[in-house]
Amino acid sequence: MRRRGMKKYMDKRSPSTFKIQITSMVDMFVILLVFLLKSYSTSPVIITPSEGMTLPASTSAKDPVDSLKLMVSKSGVWVEDKKIIDLKDGAIDVKDVDPSDTQFIRSLYTELDTQASKTRTIASKNDTIEFDGKVLMQADRGLNYETLRKVMYTAMMAGYSDVKIAVLSKD
Amino acid sequence: MRKGFSQRTEDSTFELNLAPMLDIIVAIVPMLLMSVAFVHLTVIETPVPQVVEKAIAAANEKNKDQVQILLRVSKTGGFIYTVTDKAGSRDITIPNKGTDLDLEGLQKETLTLKKSHPDVFRLELNPEENVDLEKIVQVMDKLRTTGSNDVKITFTDVETGKPLETNLVFPDIVFGNVNGG
Repeated sequence: MRRRGMKKYMDKRSPSTFKIQITSMVDMFVILLVFLLKSYSTSPVIITPSEGMTLPASTSAKDPVDSLKLMVSKSGVWVEDKKIIDLKDGAIDVKDVDPSDTQFIRSLYTELDTQASKTRTIASKNDTIEFDGKVLMQADRGLNYETLRKVMYTAMMAGYSDVKIAVLSKD
Repeated sequence: MRKGFSQRTEDSTFELNLAPMLDIIVAIVPMLLMSVAFVHLTVIETPVPQVVEKAIAAANEKNKDQVQILLRVSKTGGFIYTVTDKAGSRDITIPNKGTDLDLEGLQKETLTLKKSHPDVFRLELNPEENVDLEKIVQVMDKLRTTGSNDVKITFTDVETGKPLETNLVFPDIVFGNVNGG
């Protein structure tokens, strides 16, 4: 009697396999895919501005080229993610500049010169690489020209005379 | 009869197998996420067509010592153009509009100046120390092009002698006072 009841229950029960409803998941992924394809960058260099730094906006449409990255924010100056000097609200401390040349930032020059020597050494052994003196400068839009001029002057002294200013595209 | 019709309608419905499609999407999404640029960054430089670029380089070389255009940017004094050519040196001042720099006035004056020197493409920019980068970039944007694709500048190619049209005004901007000028 009990066995017959169990058999009846097992027969009536729905099968143990089930299907997941993935239509809505596919919909979501398709939307995500379209969004990602729209913002897909074909540029060989991808720059991510650091937190707390706002780049100026420009109508320029030129893609950045692969070069040495120099970052100037209101709190410091970085060369390839390495902090070189601290800035106080966008101003360079007197101790960081050369007493005989107030435009010259000594520690920045040392780092840039090291980078330039490194690239020149590689270039001497590899024909596909050459030192072209290009530097990509990401600078906060609120920085005044006094600070930027010192950075550009020092970069120029280290051999980086082709300064390119990174900007946000207005388009 | 009624039962037969109902049976047929049920048979005609089917379910798409979306699993392979989902597999593909799941493979593509991480790849795209790796190369996505949420902020589009560019650099300040103007893309110049090959023919125009050559002509501009030749014109710059020709005018290197003949014509010099210098623009000073001052927060208080506005814009001051210093044009040095065969006739001598003269200053053109564009005063501030209220307390701010007159960018529209600058563009208008730049176009007038460009018409008298269509084959000059290099400009020396000398901002004062208290001018911020955002303003400098705005000034450079106004100087680089005519601001509209309909407004074109006609100049003569030094090498071929043919007239060329471009909407570039001063694409070659250099910070003249970087080395203490």
